[in-house]
Amino acid sequence: MSNKAVKNLFIYGSLFFFVIFLALTFDTMGKLDKRAPEITEDVNAGKMAWHKYDCIGCHTIFGNGSYFAPDMTKTAEKKPKEYLKKFLMDPKAVNPQASMPKLGISSEEADKLIAFLEWTSKVDTNGWPPKPILATAAGVGGKELTAGQKTYQSLGCSACHMINGIGGTTAPELTYVGGKRDRAWLTGHFKNPSAYVPNSAMPAYGNLKEKELNDLTDYMLTLKQEGKK
Amino acid sequence: MTIKHESQKIAQHFYTFAVLLFLVQVLVGIIAAVQFIWPDFFILNFNTIRTLHINALVVWLLVGFMGATYYVVSEESETELWSLPLAKFQFWATVVTITTVVLGYIIMGLYPQANILVFGTRLLNEGREYIEAPRWADVLIVISVLLFLLNCAMTVLKTKKWTGIQGVLLGGLVFLALMYLPGMMYAKSMVKDQFWWWWVVHLWVEGAWEIIAGALLAFMLMKTIGAKREVVEKWMYVEVGLVLFTGILGTGHHYYWIGTPEYWLWVGGIFSSLEPIPLLLMVWNAFRTTRETRNVENKVGLYYTVANAIFNFVGAGLWGIIHTLPQVNKWTHGTQITTAHGHLAFYGAYVLLVMAMIYVTLPAIRGVKEFNPSRAFQSFWWMTISMVFIVLTITGAGMVQTYMERLMGLDYVAVKANYNLWFWIFRAIFGVGFLIGVGIFVVDYFKLGKEPATARA
Ligand code: HEM
Ligand code: HEM
Ligand SMILES: [Fe+2]
Repeated sequence: MSNKAVKNLFIYGSLFFFVIFLALTFDTMGKLDKRAPEITEDVNAGKMAWHKYDCIGCHTIFGNGSYFAPDMTKTAEKKPKEYLKKFLMDPKAVNPQASMPKLGISSEEADKLIAFLEWTSKVDTNGWPPKPILATAAGVGGKELTAGQKTYQSLGCSACHMINGIGGTTAPELTYVGGKRDRAWLTGHFKNPSAYVPNSAMPAYGNLKEKELNDLTDYMLTLKQEGKK
Repeated sequence: MTIKHESQKIAQHFYTFAVLLFLVQVLVGIIAAVQFIWPDFFILNFNTIRTLHINALVVWLLVGFMGATYYVVSEESETELWSLPLAKFQFWATVVTITTVVLGYIIMGLYPQANILVFGTRLLNEGREYIEAPRWADVLIVISVLLFLLNCAMTVLKTKKWTGIQGVLLGGLVFLALMYLPGMMYAKSMVKDQFWWWWVVHLWVEGAWEIIAGALLAFMLMKTIGAKREVVEKWMYVEVGLVLFTGILGTGHHYYWIGTPEYWLWVGGIFSSLEPIPLLLMVWNAFRTTRETRNVENKVGLYYTVANAIFNFVGAGLWGIIHTLPQVNKWTHGTQITTAHGHLAFYGAYVLLVMAMIYVTLPAIRGVKEFNPSRAFQSFWWMTISMVFIVLTITGAGMVQTYMERLMGLDYVAVKANYNLWFWIFRAIFGVGFLIGVGIFVVDYFKLGKEPATARA
């Protein structure tokens, strides 16, 4: 082929692929609204706050951004609102180990940010992030879970708390909590956390049935240093 | 080696600014690396440091391209630039804009509340990765780029020597300028925001910039070993053609999980997997052409040119293809694997490209026939070995993260703080090695041609 022919192939070939790309873009734009909830004023205000504080400078969202801090796509689905609000306004007051600085986010901005994160958590992301396969597999095999463990799982406590290395780091670890607290403290704390821990960011679980509270408390009491299994 | 046209010297203004920003980029990169170990290590938070790190990178590469382009266009058109005063004005305007933007980032880092809304856009920091520059700065940058393109186009029109190299180079730059525009609009939907954002980021590094790399590769092979124009231009068309045939639809590899339809898994997966092919062709081209010639006119220039082709393929091609299929990307998306690839790709494809252009053109600009190559080789090895180790370290961190967080379901923070700690420490150490390499390069840049050449090549 002559240089001229290769050159033409380059130009027209590239245009060809760009036109296909534009057509796909057009099609995609038409489909996006059906894949996400409606964008309210609050959601948009939250997005503006997201940009204002340059959150993407530390976090990813939909997996894009920086890799210094956890992905935010599904946060609102996993963590209670009360907790998120307190954390956004003053991270280290909620969790002294938090790396996130106090940025000066106002109470109103925190509400809007949560609305924005609730929106992203409902976007259809083709199944991302995937469920951790090994953890799921481990839950299926092995021994039967106790009633308390089931409640612990169904309430999603592990989004914030860690037991034996599994779970979140945003709230205190519970691996040995049974050695530190007694039954009365635990049940009372479930009903009204801030009565026991001033300014606690944990939501109250007073609306649980008496049996569920007892099961949870039983489970917590088994969590002790070696010796008792 | 001497320049044929006085105005080619303007390239040096751009190179100097680029080299200094490179130094800044790597210094703040080390601060960022230490913040992975101690988040409160510095007065500025991590997000501001990272913004400075990646913006300095993008800007110095762009500024480097501009300097190189002024040189090439004048050389290929066999005439002086259309307007030297305009080129100087455009240079200083760029320096002033960039400096102001950087000050804005620092102010915003210290007082986030200063990032107020003005006419619906942010005053200091737009809060979008890589294109953090506020809208008013975007406008100034676009004007500067338009003036630059005008100057180049008018120069070509003076003698109408539309060589293949200048056609492709300027075409790539126009594409680059156009692809900046989708980043300049606000979208209420975070999905649309990221959709257009990738037009800028992906179509730059895997589109426009690779076109520029293809054109400059052809130019450098001609200058360093006197390769035949006919031959290198044909290779160039094939390379840049394949870059766009695969790279445009390859954008789909960023549309897997952001809320866009499922068909992107197919489009992105297939086309992006083919993206390494043109990069491999560039390596083959560089080796074949080099083997066919005996008289090397600029040893260091050739060395960097070939290294550029190789590491472009390794960083972008190999480290890209490992996580580009949706079946893999589902698990690695947004992990340290991405950072490992980002570093080796930018280093191999564009840092080495601008450095190669500097070593190919600077001796002529400084009017020397020969120069002592030892510092150029030293800095190459310090940088390359350190970068390879940074990348291996971070690839390790990414594998641990993918396994523990994504597969086992451990918490993000637990993995980062406990299991990956040693990787962060090693990255910071290798980062210092990289800084040493950059330091040697900066010294060499300022001294080249200004001291008597000792070693005869
Ligand atoms: C010189 C060319 C290239 C450069 C400079 C480059 C750079 C980057 C950077 C910096 C990112 C991270 C973006 C972010 O911050 O979110 C990225 C992501 C990515 N790149 Fe490249 N890249 C290049 C070529 C390629 C090629 C040829 C491929 C495929 C074969 C590829 C595959 C990917 C993929 C799959 C991602 C997304 C990673 C994720 O899901 O988190 N890249 N690239
Ligand atoms: C001393 C050497 C360097 C160190 C210690 C360093 C460190 C870092 C750190 C800590 C981050 C943040 C990553 C994250 O969000 O998890 C980062 C991001 C980045 N750096 Fe560097 N860096 C260095 C040199 C470079 C060089 C030479 C380049 C270009 C070739 C580069 C390009 C980037 C890019 C594109 C990003 C953003 C995208 C990404 O995280 O993949 N860095 N760097
Ligand atoms: Fe890409």
